[in-house]
Amino acid sequence: MTDPWTDRLSEYLDGDLDPAEHAAIERHLASCDGCTTTLAELRDVVARAAALPARPPASDLWPAVEPRLDPVKSVVTAFPPRVTRRVSFTLPQLVAAGLALMVMSAGGMWVLQHGGPATEMPKVDATNEAPPAALPVSSVDPHYDEAIADLEQALAAGRSQLDPGTIKILESNLGAIDNAIAQSRQALASDPANVYLHSHLAEARQRKLALLRRGISLLDGKS
Amino acid sequence: MEALALVSPARAVSSAEALPEVARAAGGDVRAFEELYRRHLPRVHSLVRRMTGGRDADELTQDVFVRVWQKLGTFRGDSSFTTWLHRLAVNVVIERFRSDQARRARLHDGEQIFETLAGPPQTVDLGMDFEAALEKLPDGAREIFVLHDVEGHKHHEIATLLEISAGTSKAQLHRARMMLRKHLK
Repeated sequence: MTDPWTDRLSEYLDGDLDPAEHAAIERHLASCDGCTTTLAELRDVVARAAALPARPPASDLWPAVEPRLDPVKSVVTAFPPRVTRRVSFTLPQLVAAGLALMVMSAGGMWVLQHGGPATEMPKVDATNEAPPAALPVSSVDPHYDEAIADLEQALAAGRSQLDPGTIKILESNLGAIDNAIAQSRQALASDPANVYLHSHLAEARQRKLALLRRGISLLDGKS
Repeated sequence: MEALALVSPARAVSSAEALPEVARAAGGDVRAFEELYRRHLPRVHSLVRRMTGGRDADELTQDVFVRVWQKLGTFRGDSSFTTWLHRLAVNVVIERFRSDQARRARLHDGEQIFETLAGPPQTVDLGMDFEAALEKLPDGAREIFVLHDVEGHKHHEIATLLEISAGTSKAQLHRARMMLRKHLK
């Protein structure tokens, strides 16, 4: 006949019995050699299980895994910031660059709207020369937009390699430049012959290109 | 499928974390992912092999790593990467189990299989003998034994995973231990 306590030995071993049952089975164990022996054997089984070593498969599975990895991965939106810090771009440098950029852009637009040096610039004789802004902005450099798009795409693809703080500042600076570009274009729409606006737009576009290239260089340094 | 709500399997974190590789792999770097694969393959394959009794272990292990690749972007570092990876591996295996109705039915058998285990080991490689004995356990008892005694999960976690009661989990664990005890005598 089976000892009814035998079926409770694993629970006893795992500490899953309530205090009353625990005390009862301990009293039983004190007088039952069979259960005491079984308990020792169960302890051995548990110890063996905990000590099982990890073993690799007989053959490498990577050749079957790699072709199944979708090369188009979504942009990682969440990752522990403490994982790593990979940039050589220092935060103060980027902050200073961003502030300088915003001051320059805002200052330029203020000067333009409120008079000052821009009003003293030589006027363009619209009767002798086609107004520059009569052409689409992108026609200044037909490859510019394409280059910008390529750089933005490359930066987005390698985004996860950069520190989140760096990404934030890069995006902030790019946003400031885009804002300056948009303001220049808006002003040019009503004053297409304004040389200052054209130079301001060209400068902002050049800054955007330089900043994107700087971002890509950070990625290149990590690959 | 419901996510496994375990906090920290007892033996989940043993190998060194490879967080730089995790970050690079999450960004789509296949070579970094291969490093992770090679680092974790033995434990993942052992887990899958033991839970399945060796059946389709290679195929399921491949599925685990493909799923890891797909889900890496969701890893937030709330747990260690090793814990996250093994939780995902268990879920992949359990999904396979759920698609196998016959296997589910076998969760509730067991008594008649007590006597099907081979006798005591004949060789001195106790680790291999134990593995061999493990493979001979009935599916339900083996799954629960591996999850509890090898991987360190709690009964309530196992009950959630396998959609059984905690009492069934305890009973199957005891059966598995008793069968293995006979084998090791």
